[in-house]
Amino acid sequence: MNRVLRSELLKLRTTRTALGFAIAGVLLVLLVVLVTTLAGNPTTISDKRAVLSIGDPLAVVLLLFGVVGATAEYRHRTVAAGALILPSRLRLSVGRMVAYGIAGLLVGSLMLVVAFAIGIPLLSGASGPSLGTGDYVRAVGGSLLACGLGAMLGVAIGVLVANQVAAVVGTLVIFFVADPLIIAASATVGKFSFGDALTAVAGRNTAHELAFGAAVAVIIGWTALALTIAAWVDARRDIS
Amino acid sequence: MPGDTQVNAVRVAGLSKRYGGVAAVDDLSFEVRAGAVTGFLGPNGAGKTTTLRILLGLARPSAGEATIFGQPFAALADPARTVGASLEISGFHPGRSGRNHLRSLAVLAGLPESRVEDVLKLVELTGAADRRAGKYSMGMRQRLALAATLLGDPQLLVLDEPANGLDPQGIRWLRDFLRGLAAEGRTVLISSHVLSEVAQTVDDVIVIHHGRLVDEGPVDRLSGPKRVSVRSPRLADLAAAIERAGAQVSRENDVVIVSGLDAAQIGDLAFSAGLPLHELAPHSASLEEVFLELTTDEPTTEGPTTEGPTTEGPKAAA
Repeated sequence: MNRVLRSELLKLRTTRTALGFAIAGVLLVLLVVLVTTLAGNPTTISDKRAVLSIGDPLAVVLLLFGVVGATAEYRHRTVAAGALILPSRLRLSVGRMVAYGIAGLLVGSLMLVVAFAIGIPLLSGASGPSLGTGDYVRAVGGSLLACGLGAMLGVAIGVLVANQVAAVVGTLVIFFVADPLIIAASATVGKFSFGDALTAVAGRNTAHELAFGAAVAVIIGWTALALTIAAWVDARRDIS
Repeated sequence: MPGDTQVNAVRVAGLSKRYGGVAAVDDLSFEVRAGAVTGFLGPNGAGKTTTLRILLGLARPSAGEATIFGQPFAALADPARTVGASLEISGFHPGRSGRNHLRSLAVLAGLPESRVEDVLKLVELTGAADRRAGKYSMGMRQRLALAATLLGDPQLLVLDEPANGLDPQGIRWLRDFLRGLAAEGRTVLISSHVLSEVAQTVDDVIVIHHGRLVDEGPVDRLSGPKRVSVRSPRLADLAAAIERAGAQVSRENDVVIVSGLDAAQIGDLAFSAGLPLHELAPHSASLEEVFLELTTDEPTTEGPTTEGPTTEGPKAAA
């Protein structure tokens, strides 16, 4: 597994894909922090915590990062090159997931630095109670977890679907259309969706959110389920 | 095991692959001798790539089995050091340099990075190694693919259409390169739909058409029966004498083509009959002619005859 991980990390470092997503992440964080601070007028603990909890919007970017990275293996037919050296596609997929999870943590860390560097000075001038240490810890921990698990789930989805366009469009549809519809139809069911669990992990308050630990468990469950299905499909798929 | 010339490097037995109602590979069986360079030939769509993908564990067969040194690819203890394969010319990320592509594979295979520099030098790509693979010419991509196959210094090389898109200089380079590999005692299985690309390189050939075996054996045997062209100022008399001796004769302008007697026998016969000879030239049907005959659906009315298929699978399997 060490070889697979090192190889995947090397591949991540040697294209501009990761850099492109990191830049997109920085722009998104800037937008979110500035809009929620300047236009949102945060005065409550909940509002202020939301400014720094960048894991929620960022996780979608990193989810797409994982999807694009995994499907690029099929698009550019590099998946065969790996399988000719290591026939176990499961090990290749797991190694890729872990590598993207690590990349997600690194990108998430960078984004947190940006969010804190801009958000804390802006929040210091806002009225209302100040954030405590626990709020900062949860913002950091939740955001990093959301980023890492988002990237890993993206890889699982990418392996499952293989076609890059279909995987990206499908992911966006699930995240921005299906999830909200489910939540609107039934908050009890909807809180177990990946999107809502992600919101809970990242620390943004919703009326129906899961507790932090339960939300982490739900995200891990979705990721494990996606990988299991992806591994089953991938093992039966002919590589062309 | 690798290096043991008593064991077939590749064995395909009863292999079939169906896509819906279409049989891409149909009950195909053949063996590849260890230490030989074998051409895997057939027209486009004959099932060559599908067969190689199954052999290399990239596709699942509908029936039958394919083994490398006696084991399925997935069961090989160290695939990279056993078999190097190049199946897809575009198997690189266009944004990654050739060197980094090879580095990622070397790391995955547990090989030292110095091996990357070795293979880059072998394929004469060191100077372009830091350029993105997407900017490579077709010939450079083929060389990069070859470099990837050689990373593990494997005993068996499986190359799918490695001459595709190469210019004449590239084909010449590839031919010399493969000869060099063969001289080192490696087993090479090289697929092509253009026989002339590999005819001067291979020891054995396997010819498939519509997913079925149509011929296999040493390349010399595939070149068909020997024929002799004869020229004489008394051609009609000579042709009659040859026919009386039991050989087949066909006339082409001022030359007769004889099959069934060799040049020495024809010379003796002409001498005995007191007939002058101006030309006596033995030749065999070109590999290209035989290949076309084997892989053409409708029987041709011209060209050489062969002894037909020697293994299972009729010549007109289509």
